[in-house]
Amino acid sequence: MSESVLESMPPEVEPAESGKVEIDPKPSPAGKNRRLSLLPKQRKIEQGRVDALTKGRKALLCVDNVSVAFDGFKAITDLTLILDEGELRCIIGPNGAGKTTLQDIITGKTKPDAGSVFLVGDNTDLTELSEYEIAARGICRKFQRPTVFQGHSVFENLELALPGKKGVFASLFARLSKAQQERIDDVLETIGLKEQKHSAAGLLSHGQKQWLEIGMLLAQEPRVLLVDEPVAGMTHQETEKTAELLSSLAGKRTVVVVEHDMEFVRSIARTVTVLHEGKILAEGSMDAVQSNPKVIEVYLGGAH
Amino acid sequence: MNVKAELLRLMPRKGWIGFGAAAFAFFLIPILNSVTPPGSAVHVPDYLVALIGKFLCFAIVAVAMDLLWGYTGILSLGHGVFFALGGYAMGMYLMLSIGEAGVYRSKLPDFMVFLDWKELPWFWKPFDNFGFALVAALAVPGLLAYVFGFLAFRSRIRGVYFSIITQAFTYALMLLFFRNETGVGGNNGLTNFKSLYGYQLAESSTKLGLYTLTAVGLLVVFLLCRFIVVSKAGRVLCAIRDEESRSRFAGYNPTSYKLFVYTLSAVICGFAGALYVPQVGIINPSEFQPSSSIEMAIWVAVGGRASLLGGVLGAFVVNGAKSWFTVALPEAWLYILGVLFIAVTLFFPGGLASLILRKKAAT
Repeated sequence: MSESVLESMPPEVEPAESGKVEIDPKPSPAGKNRRLSLLPKQRKIEQGRVDALTKGRKALLCVDNVSVAFDGFKAITDLTLILDEGELRCIIGPNGAGKTTLQDIITGKTKPDAGSVFLVGDNTDLTELSEYEIAARGICRKFQRPTVFQGHSVFENLELALPGKKGVFASLFARLSKAQQERIDDVLETIGLKEQKHSAAGLLSHGQKQWLEIGMLLAQEPRVLLVDEPVAGMTHQETEKTAELLSSLAGKRTVVVVEHDMEFVRSIARTVTVLHEGKILAEGSMDAVQSNPKVIEVYLGGAH
Repeated sequence: MNVKAELLRLMPRKGWIGFGAAAFAFFLIPILNSVTPPGSAVHVPDYLVALIGKFLCFAIVAVAMDLLWGYTGILSLGHGVFFALGGYAMGMYLMLSIGEAGVYRSKLPDFMVFLDWKELPWFWKPFDNFGFALVAALAVPGLLAYVFGFLAFRSRIRGVYFSIITQAFTYALMLLFFRNETGVGGNNGLTNFKSLYGYQLAESSTKLGLYTLTAVGLLVVFLLCRFIVVSKAGRVLCAIRDEESRSRFAGYNPTSYKLFVYTLSAVICGFAGALYVPQVGIINPSEFQPSSSIEMAIWVAVGGRASLLGGVLGAFVVNGAKSWFTVALPEAWLYILGVLFIAVTLFFPGGLASLILRKKAAT
């Protein structure tokens, strides 16, 4: 629906002036009370702004100048993050750096005070949409704590995650097609839970639940995968398997991994973003980041 | 489409056998009563027909409650509102169909004459049409539930907060309906009905007909809810119950699913209320009492949540016990109800249905 609207819309703004690359901070109104309004609001990001942000790269997801404060505590301040198509990005940072808040903002759980988030091409301001609308646009999220539908079987968990129409009446009359069943079987194969296909998800081990949740994200066929501490509580072997899986996904999808486990980050990361006190402290390859004096200061020279 | 496969999708073979047995048991009474004379040993007396008919109405409510609470995890403690509104819609029709046969021989319902009203209020006028009353019995609860649910679910009011608000909701409506100025009979409610669509309510055959209609209604409502529960939508409902935020990030909008189930269950309760009133012969604001709505939740808890059969069982067992105890030990009934509720919650979280279905207890 949104895409057809997009295609029929004339470009609103002339392209950005050539040569001008710097980005000016421009806070956008973000309705914190959006949920109370009756009519859905959709705001398109101006094309000029998009071009200015994504100049010269294959960008997919842009977090543009986002700020949010909780009771005066600034969780995120003027943060701009641009993720390229198919890249695997690791986000690290000490506790309270804003890693989880950043994911909350991207997935619509938290509404920022200022700034916008959008998918390049779609250009709709995601901060004004609900979680399910953002999910429908292909941004999926794995929680820190494994979150699966405990009462449902592994198969049903994956069935519910499949993309498609998700309204009430569509679901009432929905039937699994052959292709969808095969898709579920594929995912079961990938996450190694074929044997447990019909057992209740609540009965799985911790590691298996983590895998099932990753499987649900895969079944959703996302464009952007946000993964919060995927290897917490996993055995060494499971960690390796997870690293393999996430690496294999990159290229096809944009994967964002938030992780504490530095060894794990080192094993998968190509680009690392270091967050500190709601701002980006450093960004670059793992080696570059690790030798960055500011990063060393935060990680080693801090209060701890 | 393969009919047999479709039916087996709805219920396994054993389920259909049970369903058939229940249907047979329900229809045994009208069959027996039409072939045997009154007074015969197998002729079911009128009062018992009316009593079981009442239980069937409650069972319809319990199935709707179970869909909402057992499957979707929304504990509404105000569903008495929708039941009563359905009942009032039917009651208003029955009141007008008394015509001039009332105590005061007036065209107006007795309570209006008593209040010295000269004219029928505007909102009463269409209720002399049976079809309108029927539609209103479903549409008024449905619309009210839609508006109330829309506001509550959109603001993400959940769990115990939702339950408390629904209690306040039913209490507020009780106060409203107690007032004479509301225009539906004040604290006496609507009663002294004579006929329904031309059939005399005092006749045994009318009672039997109403009973049969209610039994058919219960079977249809059961199958409808069963259809929802086994569909993908049913799995989404349980997913919302178990892990709402995950369901949202999986692309489902819990608000619209909740609103659908809440509204549907309200319509079903209105339907049950409309069948209830002609069988018991009265509707008054006591149906809005917070305790009536709580009892509805207890039927489901005792019968077993997340199993539609449980709702039906619970409604019959609890109301059967109520009928017996309120005669034998009237003071003790509420204590017995409380103990029953606690005992079931502690020892049989899956309720009576879990004894039959041997299913893992719903959590």
